[in-house]
Amino acid sequence: MSLWRLALRNLSRNRRRSVLTGGVVVLGFAAFALAGGFMAQSLEGLREGTIRSGMGHLQFAEPAAFGAGATGSLEHGLAGADRIEAALRGHREVAEVLPRIDFVGLASNGARTIPFLGVGLDPEPEARTMDHPKTLSAGRWLADREERGVVLGNGLAESLALGLGEVVTLLATTTDGTLNAVDAEVVGLASLPMKEIDDRYLASSLGLASDLLAARGRVSRVVVVLRDTREAGPALERLQATLRAAGFDLRGKTWEELAQFYRQVRLLYVGIFGFLGVVLVVVVILASANTMLMAAAERTREIGTLRALGTRPGFIRRLFIAEGVVLAVLGCAAGALLSLAVRYVLNHSGIMLPPPPGATQGTPLHIKLYGVAYASGAVAMIGTMVLASWLPARRASRASIVEALAHV
Amino acid sequence: MNPAGPPILAGVGLRRTYGLGSIHVPALQGVDIEIRRGDFLVLQGPSGSGKTTLINVLGLLDPPDGGRVLVDGRAVGGMDEGALADLRRDRIGFVFQTFNLIPVLTAAENVSYPMVLKGLPAAEIRRRTVDLLARVGLGARSEARPDLLSGGERQRVALARAIANEPDVILADEPTGSLDSETASGVLDLMRALNDGGRTAFVIATHDPRVVARARRAVTLRDGRVVEEA
Repeated sequence: MSLWRLALRNLSRNRRRSVLTGGVVVLGFAAFALAGGFMAQSLEGLREGTIRSGMGHLQFAEPAAFGAGATGSLEHGLAGADRIEAALRGHREVAEVLPRIDFVGLASNGARTIPFLGVGLDPEPEARTMDHPKTLSAGRWLADREERGVVLGNGLAESLALGLGEVVTLLATTTDGTLNAVDAEVVGLASLPMKEIDDRYLASSLGLASDLLAARGRVSRVVVVLRDTREAGPALERLQATLRAAGFDLRGKTWEELAQFYRQVRLLYVGIFGFLGVVLVVVVILASANTMLMAAAERTREIGTLRALGTRPGFIRRLFIAEGVVLAVLGCAAGALLSLAVRYVLNHSGIMLPPPPGATQGTPLHIKLYGVAYASGAVAMIGTMVLASWLPARRASRASIVEALAHV
Repeated sequence: MNPAGPPILAGVGLRRTYGLGSIHVPALQGVDIEIRRGDFLVLQGPSGSGKTTLINVLGLLDPPDGGRVLVDGRAVGGMDEGALADLRRDRIGFVFQTFNLIPVLTAAENVSYPMVLKGLPAAEIRRRTVDLLARVGLGARSEARPDLLSGGERQRVALARAIANEPDVILADEPTGSLDSETASGVLDLMRALNDGGRTAFVIATHDPRVVARARRAVTLRDGRVVEEA
C-alpha cells in the first residue's frame, strides 16, 4: 500500500467533501488558465498593434537620433538609405524595410495655419506590413512613393476645414535652414486613437516629404519588419553587424525598447493579474484548509492507530500532504478541461471587447491557449493545496497517540 | 509454552499522572512488571485502576512520568519518536477493544500494513498475509473492507495484523469488550493458540472473568498499584 494509493483511498471515503474541495481547485485552476490566456491574448494584441501601428520590429538611425531632445527630423538624417535597405533585405528574417522621414511643419488652407507632425513613407510596403490603411475613415491610402497627396488626421482636417480632394499647403524648414512650401491634395482622412496625435497627424509619400525638406535622399530612420516578432532581439545584433560591415555606424533599437506605452501596460496587466492570482490562492487556501482540517479531525483515532502500529510521524505528514497533492492534480486536470471548454465557448461567442489601450477598434473576445498560464495555475494550485494540508498534517503527526486513540 | 528467559518487556517503578484541569489523577504509582517470552498475562482490576495506562506505557504509546520501560533490558527513555515507532512496529503488536482497523483498507491490506511499514519484500508480504488470514480463519474474506466484517471477524483481522511482524509481545486492551460471549470465546481461543504455538507473549487488560480464567498469570491493579500477582 503506497503512500499515494492510501491517499487516494482516503480521498474516496468522503466523496462529496473531496469533490467540493476539488471543485475549489478546479475553479481556481480554470480562473488562472483563462485569466492568463486573456492577459496573454491582450498583450499579444497590444504588442502586434504597437508594432503594426508604424513602429515595426526594429529601427535604425544615427545614434544621436535616439538621444534626448532629438526631434526625429532630418537633423540626424541617414544618407545612403538605398544601400542600407539593400543590406538589410539580404537577411532572411527581414520581411520588409521601410525608410521614413519624420518632420514637423505648418499646414495651411490659405486662411488658417496649424502645426503638424508629419511622416514621409513608402506607401505600398507600409500598407502591406503596417496598419496605416486601417486607420482611414475616409478616402484612400497613399498610392506610391512620389504621390503629391497626404493623409490627414481627422482632427487636423477639421481644424483646417479641409475635405477629400482639397489642397493643403505644407510649410517646413529644409535641411539647409530655409523655409519651403509645397501643395498637396488631401487623399485620405485617418482616425488616430489619441486625440493629441489625431489633431496633428499627417502622412505623405517619401517623395513629397523629401521635396519639402530638400532631403536629397536622406531619411530620418529605417524601420524593419521581421517575419517573427520573437526574433527581434537576436536579429538586431545580426543586422547591426551587417550594417557595420557595410560602413554604417548606426544605432538600432527593438520595438520593446521603443514602446514605452506597451511596457507600462504590460506592467499594469502583470500587477492586476498578479494581485488577482494572490487573492485566488488565498481563497483556495481558506476554503480547502478548512475541509482538510475537518478530515484530519475525523480521522484522529485512525491516525492514533497508524502511529501505534509503528507509522512514523513523517509518514503521517506526508500522507496528508499527498492527499492535498492528489486533490490538486485531479482538480488541475478537471480545471484544464473546464478552461478548454469555457475558452471554446467564449472564443465562438462573438463577444466584442472595447478597444484596448492605444487602439481605435474593439476586438472580438479571444482567450489564448497559453501554456504558461496552465503551468503556473498547476504550480499555484498544487502549492496551495500543500500549504492547506500542512497545518492538519502537522497537527495530526504531533498529536499524542493515547489521546488520538481515545478520540471519539 | 511456559514463560521463560529474561524479560522481553519490563516496567520499573512506572508512574503516570494525568491532569484534569487543576486536578491531578495518579494513574500509575510505582508499578513494577516483567513480561517474558510465552507469557499470557492478564491485567485485571476495576475501572480507573490503571490497566489501560499500563498497556499504553508498556506499548511505548505514552511516556511515563517516572520509572523506566525496558525492551530486552534496554531503557527506551530518551529515544526519539521515530525510534519508538520502529520499536512498536517490530517488537510490539496491539489489539484494541474497538478493533481499530483502517476503514479504507481491505482485511488483507490491514494485515499487510505493518509488514509494508517494515519494508518487507512484496512477495513475502503477500505470502504472509494469506497465511495469517488463514490462521485466523478469514482466508475467504481477505478483500472485504472492515465495514463488511462482523465484530468477531474484525477482531480476528486485528489479531492477524498484531502478529504480522512476529512481535515479541502483543498488548491487548479489552479485546473481548465489544464482542458477544461466543465470539469472545473464539477470539480468546485464537489468542491462546497463537500464544501456545509461538514465541509471542500476550498482555491483556480486561474486566472479563472468562479472559482471566484463561490466563497463565494475572496481575491485579488498584489505584495505580499492583496489589496482587498470581
